[in-house]
Amino acid sequence: MTCALLSCKAIFKEVKQMQLPVLNDAPSAKSGCSASSCGTTDSQMDTLPDSIREKVQNHPCYSEDAHHYFARMHVAVAPACNIQCHYCNRKYDCANESRPGVVSEVLTPDQAVKKTMAVAANIPQMTVLGIAGPGDPLANPEKTFETFRRLSQEAPDIKLCVSTNGLALPEAVEELSKHNIDHVTITINCVDPEVGAKIYPWIYWNNRRIKGVKAAKILIEQQQKGLEMLIAKGILVKVNSVMIPGINDEHLAEVSRVVKSKGAFLHNVMPLIAEAEHGTFFGVMGQRGPTPDELQNLQDSCAGDMNMMRHCRQCRADAVGMLGEDRGDEFTMDKIEDMEIDYQAAMEKRKLVHQAIQAEMDSKRLEKAQKAAVKPAVAPQTRPVLMAVATSGQGVINVHFGHAKEFLIYEASPEGVRFISHRKADQYCGGDVSCGETESTLQTTIRSLAGCEAVLCSKVGYEPWEMLEQAGIMPNGEHAMENIEEAVMAVYLEMAKAGKLDTEQLRASA
Amino acid sequence: MAVKIIELCTNCHACLPVCPSHAIYETKPHFMVDPKKCTECEGDFADFQCASICPIEGAILNALGEAINPPGSLTGIPLEKMAEAMAELQAH
Ligand code: SF4
Ligand code: SF4
Ligand code: SF4
Repeated sequence: MTCALLSCKAIFKEVKQMQLPVLNDAPSAKSGCSASSCGTTDSQMDTLPDSIREKVQNHPCYSEDAHHYFARMHVAVAPACNIQCHYCNRKYDCANESRPGVVSEVLTPDQAVKKTMAVAANIPQMTVLGIAGPGDPLANPEKTFETFRRLSQEAPDIKLCVSTNGLALPEAVEELSKHNIDHVTITINCVDPEVGAKIYPWIYWNNRRIKGVKAAKILIEQQQKGLEMLIAKGILVKVNSVMIPGINDEHLAEVSRVVKSKGAFLHNVMPLIAEAEHGTFFGVMGQRGPTPDELQNLQDSCAGDMNMMRHCRQCRADAVGMLGEDRGDEFTMDKIEDMEIDYQAAMEKRKLVHQAIQAEMDSKRLEKAQKAAVKPAVAPQTRPVLMAVATSGQGVINVHFGHAKEFLIYEASPEGVRFISHRKADQYCGGDVSCGETESTLQTTIRSLAGCEAVLCSKVGYEPWEMLEQAGIMPNGEHAMENIEEAVMAVYLEMAKAGKLDTEQLRASA
Repeated sequence: MAVKIIELCTNCHACLPVCPSHAIYETKPHFMVDPKKCTECEGDFADFQCASICPIEGAILNALGEAINPPGSLTGIPLEKMAEAMAELQAH
C-alpha cells in the first residue's frame, strides 16, 4: 500500500486485508458466484464491472487463489515523504509496508527497472510491480514516473501499482493514467479532520509545514479528490486503513462507506503495530494495536458494507517472490548487475507459464464451484468454527506448525468453508540463535490464533501440541498434503460428529 | 548565512527536491547543505523549505546553531515521555 504511509519505519505491517469472496469462487467472470460459501458479498462483486473483475481475478494481492500462483514485488525508489503519521518514525520503512526494523534498499529508477526485469525473467510468476515505501511515491513523482515510464515500454507484460498517502495524488492522476497502472492504493485512515488530527501531526503543503486539524483537513480533501479523479479515469483504487483502537476504530465503518460509495473496489484494514522501541508517537505514548479478534470483528462489520480482501499479507517494500515468501536475497543489486537479460525471450516464456497457470486455476475454480454446490452433512443450525491452516501455497496443508510464518484462517459452517484472513505467526523456531526465546514466541504464536478451535498443519511438535491443547486449540496433523477446504470440512464434520458443535455447548461457552 | 544538516539526518531525501537554491546534496554519512549556495530561502519562501519538510527533530540547525525543529515540535511526543521510553529501552 502505499503508504500513505509508505515509508515508515514500520510500525505495523500490512497484515490483513479484506476479501473478495466472490472472485474466489467464480468460475467465470460472468457467471457470478455459484458457490454456496460466498456469503453476503456476492452481490457486491456482481455489481463490479467485468473489466474490474477481470483485473482483480488474477491479481496476486487480491484474488485468493491467484496469490498461490502469481507473485508480486515491490521496489523502493522514492524515500521522501510529505506528511507525518503517528505510527511512523521515518527512520526505517513505511509502516504500511514493512516489517519493523527492516530497511529497504532505495534504488534509482534505473536500478529498479533492471531489478524488476531480472526478477520477471527468472520468476515468470511475477506479474505485479509496486512502488512502495519507504516514502510516498508521489512526493517524489519524477523517480516514480520514470520507473513506470520505462517499465511500461520495456516490460509491457508487468502490471504496475503504486501506493500513496494521497496528499499529492490529485496532481499525479493525469500522469498515472498514461502508464500501465493496474491500481492505486490510497491509505485513508479517516474522513473526519478531528480524527485525522490524532493520527497526522503535520503535512508539508504549499511550501509550509501545517499542523493539527487544518493539516488533517487538507490531507483528507486531497485523498478524497484523488480517489474521485482516479475513478473518473477508470483506474482501480484500493483503500488501506490502519486500525487504531480508540482513535479511528469506530470511524472506519464510515470510511468504508464513503470510499465504497465513491467507487473504491476494495477496503483493506490493517492493524496498528506500535512498540515503544520504534520511537513513534503511538509507540512511545503506549497506544496499543488491535487484537486479532478486534481486527476480525471490524473486518466482518465492514464486509457487509464493502468488498473486503482478507488474504493479502504484509509484505516488505522490496519483497520479491510469491506472496509471503521472500526471495529478495537472490536479487540484490550486485547480483543483478551481472545478469544478462533478454526480455523479449523472457516475455515469450512468461506468456506460456501464465497460460498454464491460468488453465490450472480455471480448472480448480470450476472443481471448487462444483464441490461447493454440495452442502455439508450437518444440521443447518450447527455453529461455525474457525480453524487455522499452515500452508505455503498451492491450496494444500504443507507446513510444519513450527515453521509457519503465518496461518490462514478459515471458517467452516453448514454453508461450507470460507477463507477469513491471514494471521502472522512469530516463527517460534527458525533454528537460529533466537531460539533462546522459544517459549515466549510460541506463546505469541498461539495467542495469534485466538478464536480458532483447531490448527491444521503437516506436523506439530510435542511441546506446541500440549500448549495448543491447553489453549483450547486442537492440533491436527492428519491432513498433510490435502486440499485445505476439504480438510477443514473433514475436521468440521468430525467435530460435529463428536458433539462439539451442539448449540447448547455454544451457549455454555459463550 | 546558511542552515546546516547534522548527523541526526536519516537520509530520507525529503529536503533535497524542495530547496529552491539547490544547496542540498546527498553524501555520506548524511545529506549536507552547501553553505555557499544556501540562501535561507530568502526571496523565495517565508520558511526554510528544508526544515519545513524534514521529519527529524534537530536534524537541521539555523545559522545560530539552534535546532529549527526542536525536540517534541514535530512528533508531539512530550519530552518526559520520550525520556521514559528511552530509559526503559536502555534497561533491557
Ligand atoms: S509518514 Fe509518510 S512514510 Fe511514514 S507512514 Fe506516513 S505516509 Fe508513510
Ligand atoms: S534553507 Fe532554503 S536554501 Fe537553505 S538549504 Fe534549506 S531549503 Fe535550501
Ligand atoms: S529532510 Fe531531514 S532527515 Fe531527510 S534528508 Fe533532509 S535533513 Fe536529512
